Amino acid sequence: MDTTQLLKGVLDLAVLAVVSDEDGYGYDVVRRLRAAGIEEVGDASVYGTLRRLYSSGALTSYVVPSDEGPHRKYYGINAQGRAMLEAQRKDWQEFAGTMGRLLKTEVVR
Amino acid sequence: MSVLDTTDALDVAGYAAAVRRSLADLGPEQVEDLSDDLEADLAEALDDERHVAHGRGLLEQFGPPEDYAAELRAAAGLAPATAHARRGQLLSDPVDDTRRFGRWALRRLRALAWWPPVEAFLIALRPVWWLLRGWVVYQLVAILAGASGWLPRNLAAFLVLVGAVILSVQYGRGAWFQQRRLAWLPVTANVVAVVAVLPLLAGAHDRLVASESVYADYTAGRLGGGGTQTIIQDKAVDGVVVDGVQVSNLFVYDADGSPLTDVQVYDDRGRPVRTTFDDGLGQYWFPEATEPWSFVSRVDSDGRARWNVYPLQGAPASEFTYDDDGLQVLPAESSATTPPWPFAKAPALDDAPEAAVGAEGAPSSSPTSTP
Repeated sequence: MDTTQLLKGVLDLAVLAVVSDEDGYGYDVVRRLRAAGIEEVGDASVYGTLRRLYSSGALTSYVVPSDEGPHRKYYGINAQGRAMLEAQRKDWQEFAGTMGRLLKTEVVR
Repeated sequence: MSVLDTTDALDVAGYAAAVRRSLADLGPEQVEDLSDDLEADLAEALDDERHVAHGRGLLEQFGPPEDYAAELRAAAGLAPATAHARRGQLLSDPVDDTRRFGRWALRRLRALAWWPPVEAFLIALRPVWWLLRGWVVYQLVAILAGASGWLPRNLAAFLVLVGAVILSVQYGRGAWFQQRRLAWLPVTANVVAVVAVLPLLAGAHDRLVASESVYADYTAGRLGGGGTQTIIQDKAVDGVVVDGVQVSNLFVYDADGSPLTDVQVYDDRGRPVRTTFDDGLGQYWFPEATEPWSFVSRVDSDGRARWNVYPLQGAPASEFTYDDDGLQVLPAESSATTPPWPFAKAPALDDAPEAAVGAEGAPSSSPTSTP
């Protein structure tokens, strides 16, 4: 099954979750998503999602100077983002539970 | 992240530029907002790929830049590119065009066998360019401020130079000015530096030569007004030198101190001793003369011109005319005369006993007449 299709619906949630853990810049978020097991995510999708969440007011952004490389734009979560994360987390858990029950029944049947 | 090598840095810049071109229809602010960290992200991804994955290039890793841009704008919730965007690309950014041309040229060069060692050599020289670029910026600031010279002469100028060098090196190392909205600054500085470096070096060299000649004048005492200039010549001067100065004429007196004329002078090997070598073209001043003189040669019995017959005879320069060959000649109505003698009579020699001995070997008095 093509998980990229699945991922599209929940990428906002995944990105919010990663950023709520700890502030991060674009590629850092990609790396943490991959480390968490979301391998198929496209870099550009993550960056685009970060921008969109930022422009919709769910994330804050600030630039951090770096000693060894270019300055990086970091994203952090704010109150609105947390609220969004909570709401989506609830939605996801309900949906996942539903799907789980559905699939379980199918498997058991 | 680790510092990428130049090839990768160029790849990253090229890929990022291509992505931005595909976003161009969104307007500069949106493009910057979507892609301001793009180079850094790509570089880091490439670096990770190199160390933990398969070492694929950007294209293999991310696909065509157009797809990357499409994914970026879709995820950001923006409309996909329109046909209008492609028309907009025609009026592309000159900086991007230059980069694209650079990449194309580099690709062609890399296909040549001799290029890679040359490129490696040039890459090794990059820090030299960074320093030079800092110096060029300093020079331009100094010229605007009205100062000049290779290097600063006061603390403020020194700080400007140090600051310019630090900015240049930090940019060269990829540490500063990497943000998209600041990109115009290093690009402008680079272009200005490339254009200005040769004129500045030439100008600085001219000033250095000028100041060296002033220094030479100073050491020669010309600026002080009092000193004597010492000319040091590697080659021996031909002619007759008295007290460090070449003389133009010789005056000969016999044992009694009476002046002699038409004296032929030779050295110990029979070579004629000459004071002038200009064959009559030169002009010479005497003490208390009102105008310079030119000399004429004597002619020996074989018809050869003799310039070693002293005192040289001549005439004031104004009496000379030029013949058909452009040579300076005395017209028939004037005749060459002997220039003023330094004194009418020199001290007579003592009749030393050895003079008689010497008289056996050499004639003691001249065969020539007195004036």
